[in-house]
Amino acid sequence: MPAKKYKLSESGQEGEVEEKHLNDEVRHDLSLARRDKENEEDREEEKKLEKRGFDLKIFIRLFAWTRPYRVKRNLLFVLVCVRSLQIPALAWAIGMVINGPIADGNLPGIYWGAAGFGLLSLVTQITMHFRQRYALELGESVVFDMRNAVFEHLMRMPLSYYHRTKLGSIISRITSDIEALRIGVQNVLFVSMVQLGQMLGAGTLMATYNWRLFLVIVAMTPALFFINRYFSKRISQASRMLQESFSRVTATVAESVKGIQVTQGFAREERNSTLFRELIRDHSGYNMGLARNIAVYLPLLELNSQMFIAAIVVIGGYGALSPAVDMPVGDLVTFFFLANLFFSPIPSLGRMFTSAMSAIAGAERIFRLLDTPPDWSDDPAAEAIGPLAGNVEFRNLQFAYEPGTPVLKDINFTAGAGQTIALVGHTGSGKSTIINLLCKFHLPTGGELLIDGRDVRGIRTESLRDQIGIVLQKNFLFSGTVRENIRLGKIGASDAEVEEAVRRIDCLDLVEAMLDGFETVITEEGAGLSLGQRQVVCFARAMLADPCILILDEATASVDTVTEARLQKALETLMRGRTSFVVAHRLSTVRRADLVLVLNQGEIVERGSHLELLKQDGIYAGLYRQFAEV
Amino acid sequence: MSVVPNKQDPRVSPPSVSNWKLILRLLRFSWQFRSRSIQVVFTQLLILILMLSSLGLTGLAIDFLSDTINRTDHVRWPLGLQPSAETEPFRVILLIGAVIGGIALIRALLEYWNQMSVSRLVHVDIVLKLRAQVYEKLQKLSFRFFDKTASGTMINRVTGDVQAVRMFIDQVLIQIFIMVISLMVYLVYMLRMHVGLTLVCLATTPLLWVISAYFSRRLRPAYLVSREYLDDLILNFAEVIQGIQAVKGFNLEANRTADFKAKNQAILEQRQGIFWLASTFSPIIGLLTHVNLIILLSYGGVLVVRGELPLGSGLVVFAGILQQFSGQIANIAGVADSIQQSLTGARRVFEILDSEVEVESPENPVHINSYRGEIAFDHLYFEYKPQNIILKDIHFSVKPGEMVAIAGATGSGKSALMSLIPRFYDPLDGAIRFDGHDLRSLSLDEIRRNIGIVFQENFLFSNTIANNIAFGHPDASRERIERAARIACAHEFIIRMDKGYDTILSESGSTLSGGQRQRLAIARAILLEPAILLLDDPTASIDPETEHEILEAIERAIEGRTTFIVAHRLSTLKRSDKVIVLDGGEIIQMGTHDELMAQPGLYREAVDLQAVDPESLALLSANHRRKGSTERGAH
Repeated sequence: MPAKKYKLSESGQEGEVEEKHLNDEVRHDLSLARRDKENEEDREEEKKLEKRGFDLKIFIRLFAWTRPYRVKRNLLFVLVCVRSLQIPALAWAIGMVINGPIADGNLPGIYWGAAGFGLLSLVTQITMHFRQRYALELGESVVFDMRNAVFEHLMRMPLSYYHRTKLGSIISRITSDIEALRIGVQNVLFVSMVQLGQMLGAGTLMATYNWRLFLVIVAMTPALFFINRYFSKRISQASRMLQESFSRVTATVAESVKGIQVTQGFAREERNSTLFRELIRDHSGYNMGLARNIAVYLPLLELNSQMFIAAIVVIGGYGALSPAVDMPVGDLVTFFFLANLFFSPIPSLGRMFTSAMSAIAGAERIFRLLDTPPDWSDDPAAEAIGPLAGNVEFRNLQFAYEPGTPVLKDINFTAGAGQTIALVGHTGSGKSTIINLLCKFHLPTGGELLIDGRDVRGIRTESLRDQIGIVLQKNFLFSGTVRENIRLGKIGASDAEVEEAVRRIDCLDLVEAMLDGFETVITEEGAGLSLGQRQVVCFARAMLADPCILILDEATASVDTVTEARLQKALETLMRGRTSFVVAHRLSTVRRADLVLVLNQGEIVERGSHLELLKQDGIYAGLYRQFAEV
Repeated sequence: MSVVPNKQDPRVSPPSVSNWKLILRLLRFSWQFRSRSIQVVFTQLLILILMLSSLGLTGLAIDFLSDTINRTDHVRWPLGLQPSAETEPFRVILLIGAVIGGIALIRALLEYWNQMSVSRLVHVDIVLKLRAQVYEKLQKLSFRFFDKTASGTMINRVTGDVQAVRMFIDQVLIQIFIMVISLMVYLVYMLRMHVGLTLVCLATTPLLWVISAYFSRRLRPAYLVSREYLDDLILNFAEVIQGIQAVKGFNLEANRTADFKAKNQAILEQRQGIFWLASTFSPIIGLLTHVNLIILLSYGGVLVVRGELPLGSGLVVFAGILQQFSGQIANIAGVADSIQQSLTGARRVFEILDSEVEVESPENPVHINSYRGEIAFDHLYFEYKPQNIILKDIHFSVKPGEMVAIAGATGSGKSALMSLIPRFYDPLDGAIRFDGHDLRSLSLDEIRRNIGIVFQENFLFSNTIANNIAFGHPDASRERIERAARIACAHEFIIRMDKGYDTILSESGSTLSGGQRQRLAIARAILLEPAILLLDDPTASIDPETEHEILEAIERAIEGRTTFIVAHRLSTLKRSDKVIVLDGGEIIQMGTHDELMAQPGLYREAVDLQAVDPESLALLSANHRRKGSTERGAH
């Protein structure tokens, strides 16, 4: 509908033009963000929310976020009111000039009238500038505060929250939800207020001008109302279906790209193309479905306003011609200008309603996140600790993520300062949980965990983690350079310190062999480095942190044997003089441990040194035989 | 159109083809959609004329009314349709009203029809065709292309970029036609009414256009920058959430929060910096249109007073048209934006369509009735990128049914060697022969149907388990699928699932354990009973504790097939018929495990590193002996 999009009537201008550049991009990105399967839940929810209607409580709460900017906000309300008067006034002024001086042939009156119109127009445009600008600024500030609040809140959440919650749904809080909210504040709230005001203003003017003609509009209102309601429901339904279909398309393409090796390796190209063609044909059906609704809706509205013109021509004409009524012809002219103001906001108000609903839904989800309290936080009486000797004791310790399903049952063991403890067992036996408790990612549900004789509950979390170095199985790296990643072990460390840490684990040559040495840029999740190189970075990071307690979750993926030998040596250096806990996959690590704990279903089933356990010929010996395959 | 801002889109690689060449190519592409496009333009023109007529009729009604009342005679009747003097004035008005209503009806119908045509053109004709084309091509491209392109942008090419290309037709070409035609119609209509008034009123028009272009040129890059900032923030956010354990473990919460806030602040400042400009655009445009109205009111008003212009069909209609006219002019900036966007998209879409399919079946492939599984590498050289030799002078042959283990450090060329066998790439020099035939003389489909491949990390599709196993042969019977699953030791765990073989896997099979995924991959590979089996380090991403689960599956799968396996495990190396040790792309050692252990070299060193220390070994074998004796005792 090319001609429609740019109708430069006052209402069309309001708020829509400035965002046009951005909107195409945003819409695109939003659709990408919606790709996540997780969002299906959100969409389900949105459906429910839409049925429930406008939630005033959430709106009020959202409104409270504008408090720090209340001067701007209150000014905005004033500007909205002023504009709702100005827009009809402009149309009215044209009518006045035409009916007055022009009809009367009063030349100076024409010039004065035109000048007056010009002045009014100037003031109106200035008002509009500030109306737009303040709405944009207000929306951006609120969104800024909200992003910070969400992030800070997330940082306070303990690890258990992240185990429960899907990554995608956390991310969509800050992408699609906040984006919907931003559009809600910047483009919907104030624009729709102006548009409503403009309709109201135009209506009032028409009513006072000529109530007979105004009755025509009143008579048309129910029809307009029903058309609008019927179609806005159908359109939002059709666009939701379209969106779902689109996420099927993107998901399929994503799979095809990720699985390209398999596709080509199994000669499946033809078949996949056929399936995809069916899928996009189906998708174009949804596109057409939406298009059909819009293609009926918009012309129908246009038909309405044309019918109105026809009606005022006939009724106004009758009024002007019959001496009994004596209606001025000029009223027709004024109505001609005012009618447009009354009708043009209607289609966009429907669209605005949909955006407002998704803004409210987004706000609700954000508030729900902000309202989720952390499962636990430090006892206010907890104290900070300094450097540790490194004695660790698990005393009758129990742990459960959910009550009734214990993950650890009655764990007892002691690790002396500087000892190495190896944890062995199948996936799910509780090895990682022991490590997570040590880092105080979770609190024990029963019994005690003592570090240098003090219960972890009484130790301030950050001070404890300062003393603990962690090398995780996934060896997560942040995007940035190798140097920056190592430096994360000790914020503020100098370049020399970073290099010294690498030198101490004797891996300087390995780092320098990377594409750009220390300045090698790591992208998404460590792409760009091999598995072995990533481990070197993690080791160096832990070395720089110089912790008293070291925790290692060995990577399962096999590094080739030569590299592995190098890493082994680095690891030994790293572990020297520290109490170390190792979830062991490498035979050599276990062999050197002071104490091997064999876990099974949350219990320690065997304990002792490597050789002792082999002599026992129990579970451990069996596992070891599988490793060694003799 | 010289308005195309020649700004570099920061997210796009520098254009390799000039914009003009691209536009020419897009024009050629658009030519196939000409008939519907012309129809759309034509209908739009019709709608325009109808709109002008009802506008004119409204003006006519106003004039007729004031003439009748004031007893003047200003009305210009169109097409000489003057009603006779005896006709009752209200009948004339009624007739005009009815015609306006009738026109409105026809217009609504035309409008519906036209919008449907546009949608059909866009969604059915263009996008459907282009998407299928891009997708089809995408699947045939060599891995080289996938290696160098991030998967996100690949997905975009099929979804967003294709849309951008079609914009060239419906938002640019058709728009321009409609714009030119409607501007001409408006102009003619206005000139016919009053030449002087038209010229004066249009005096501000060039300004309107220049200002629109100026704002678009200033704002678009600023919004792109703002977009980039936001993307960066979101990426950063996603990373923190993904790596939350590392963040917490290293006490980085405060550090990351500060980082996030700084990025957030940057977005805020950048945006606040352009808001004043963004919210100046529409007021200025509004003001300019109003300047037109002021001129119209004053000059037009004088003309009306002088009797040179009728009030209704002159002044009022003029005001209406003027608004439409300004709208179209402001639209030019929009078209310029669309051109820019469609060029960016087109560049990316054409890049895919133009990419050479490196590996293709020969025109008349040799057909082998039954592959025996004999493979020979003949002095083969290979490189991914020019001047960067990955494999050098690889020369060996494998008899049917033999098992070959490939060992070597990361980057020694193991995966490259494996990927040449199913002809994912072509060698630079030398050749690979299957049963004596050069790979390049055989049909690609035939080769790949005769090779079963298990990758390091096997992608499973979100489909049923049965369909995943039957991936290479969708029509396979259930019996055949089950047979493959049994061989791969997967049958048991599959039937234990809720819906057995009809269980739908969630995205990439994330609900399965690593061992289960790998066993499905093995079942998938052997479904077609291939003569050749490739196993690229199949235990790499699996917990050592569960590794034995798939070792048995491998053991059964390789039976009777020529097998290539990349392996580090001693047990695998030992049972191979031949071990090839690669280093820096060259075969440095080749032979059986025992032979290689007998000579000094990389192989023996690597194996020694894995070996169990003598003390543990003694203990283990003591246990073993004891167990053996008790078992014997029991008999």
